[in-house]
Amino acid sequence: MNPALDVRELAKSYGQKQAVNGVSFQIPAGQIFGLMGMNGAGKTTILRMLATLLKPDSGDALIDGNSIVKNPEKVRACISYLPDEAGAYRSMTGKNYLKFIAGLYFRDEAEQKDCAALGEEICGLGEALERKINTYSRGMTRKLVLARTVMTKPKLAILDEPTSGLDVLNSLDIRKTIRNCANEYGTAFLLSSHHMQEVSTTADRGAIMKDGVFLAEGTPQELLDMYQAKTLEEAFEKAVRSA
Amino acid sequence: MMHLLKKELSELLNKQMLLGLLVSFILIVMLGFVMTSTVSGTLEASGEVHIIDLDQTDFTQQIADKLEDKGYTVKSVTEEKAYELILDEQKWNDAAVLPAGMTELLLTQHEACEINSVTALKTTSTMSMAFADNSSADYVSKAVSELLSEKYLSGEMAFLEHPVTLTPYTVANGKTVQASSAALVSSLAMFDQLMPLVLFLLIVLTSQTIITAVAAEKTDKTLETLLSSPVPRSVIIGAKMLAALITAVIYAVVYGLGFLSSLLFNVDRTAENMDVASAFTNLIQTQDAIHALGLQISFLGWIGVIIQLLLTIGIALTASMILGGLVEDAKGSQTASLPILVCTMFPYILSMVSDIRGMGLTARILLYCIPFTHTFIAASCLRFHQTGLFLGGMIYQVIFVLAAVFAALKLYQSDLLFTHRFSRNSKKS
Repeated sequence: MNPALDVRELAKSYGQKQAVNGVSFQIPAGQIFGLMGMNGAGKTTILRMLATLLKPDSGDALIDGNSIVKNPEKVRACISYLPDEAGAYRSMTGKNYLKFIAGLYFRDEAEQKDCAALGEEICGLGEALERKINTYSRGMTRKLVLARTVMTKPKLAILDEPTSGLDVLNSLDIRKTIRNCANEYGTAFLLSSHHMQEVSTTADRGAIMKDGVFLAEGTPQELLDMYQAKTLEEAFEKAVRSA
Repeated sequence: MMHLLKKELSELLNKQMLLGLLVSFILIVMLGFVMTSTVSGTLEASGEVHIIDLDQTDFTQQIADKLEDKGYTVKSVTEEKAYELILDEQKWNDAAVLPAGMTELLLTQHEACEINSVTALKTTSTMSMAFADNSSADYVSKAVSELLSEKYLSGEMAFLEHPVTLTPYTVANGKTVQASSAALVSSLAMFDQLMPLVLFLLIVLTSQTIITAVAAEKTDKTLETLLSSPVPRSVIIGAKMLAALITAVIYAVVYGLGFLSSLLFNVDRTAENMDVASAFTNLIQTQDAIHALGLQISFLGWIGVIIQLLLTIGIALTASMILGGLVEDAKGSQTASLPILVCTMFPYILSMVSDIRGMGLTARILLYCIPFTHTFIAASCLRFHQTGLFLGGMIYQVIFVLAAVFAALKLYQSDLLFTHRFSRNSKKS
């Protein structure tokens, strides 16, 4: 069986700066993969290339068997991308926003309705969905946009810093939602994060990045063993400082 | 497409926009009143007086001397030719015709004489006409009055009150018609000045709207969500532009109605001051003169003007999509719209105060490079039979809009939309 995501020697540079340098990894369906790295390590560039927003200089990635280089249109039909600190259309109500996004993915009205209903259920915002988004708190907006990312049941959900700037309880809710969607719908998740705790508790596998390359890749336990560390934070520090 | 269009329209057509529209409507009505009253009251003297002297007597020479004493430069010709030929040869905008036998009538028979006041109509810009029209006949008339007063200071001759009556003639498209150029311009300006004003507002408002909308989408990262969705990018761009176009048309209709209402109100007020029959006769005479001079625009011509209008809005919208895509955040949207504002303002203001088609070669080339210029001068081109310039402008606009659409599609399919910020600030990679 093909993995949901198969990244092969992906590379991208901005002028003289090599942002991503020959990265390869796979994510099977229903698994969560966490990218850890400092600012400028190349995480967002990888996510944007997989979301077909940037074109790779070399290498390729297959998402559900579709190449991001040769078939970006087909790729877009089976992914969902949540940018870092993404907002939503503030003049819309939460409900209408979910309906609008559903309309981008499904032509059939019944399918759109089911999709939006699932989004409403996932975000758990209840009556607040009738209100305009400009009245939402940061945590509410994040729950809404996460719901719209997963409600289409994509083969691969790409999340850039999904809990950035959120309080503990909201972060926990978001992590639970990600875990549930991976288990329930078989969606593969690729998320980038600064929070080692997030990766160790949510991800099945992860990679530590620096200067566009993977320093280490494995399950959280494998990463701990690799650097003889007690926490993922410690493993990360050792990996980055020794590189 | 409809799905996205509905979303784009709901974003653009909000309460804030409607309130802004209402305020703008009121302002436009007020502006219309100010403009029409200013234009009707503006006739400034300039330094040259042109005379076609068909009498050639000491008295007509005294008229010229009198005017020169007052500081005017008097230029005169004495040959009898068609007015349009004289104005064309001498490159004059107007002339006062002193008829043969004028001196005899005034000084011997003590009767009032008739002077023809000839004006070349080169543009329908009222401001331009006000500055260009030297009113030579007016100055000659005053000079004659003063000379006769000096001669017959103690006399009580009735004709001295109005020794000269002026008969206006207008020259255009190689034809001469007995009609006042001011009346013709007033009649034509109803439409010819309304369109540039509405066009100017449309370009500025729609470009600002679309640049801000795209910049806001970039800031909120909703653009990334849209571009990574299965909807083709051409549809995303198309929906955004179509929504802005619909908004622009709403603006155009409201502004047009606002300006027209102020003009019609003015016409009503003018009509109140004369009886209905006179007003009707004046209107018919003006329309006859417009037709006789070939200044009317055919139905096909109007279709062409509307096509140019749509092409211009298309160029503004596409350019705004490009500029909006290159803007880093909402703050940069004000600066990003500046090129469009400048490219609109220059031809608009120049078309109001001057005749762009009559400018120097360098100025004309520079202005014709701006695709908006061709729409501002479209009506004038058709009225003054410069079909080649009109069609050339339209072809240029078609090429420009196609190139702009191609560039916009390329931009929205390229990395530049997102790497633009990396080149200057690499906070995230």
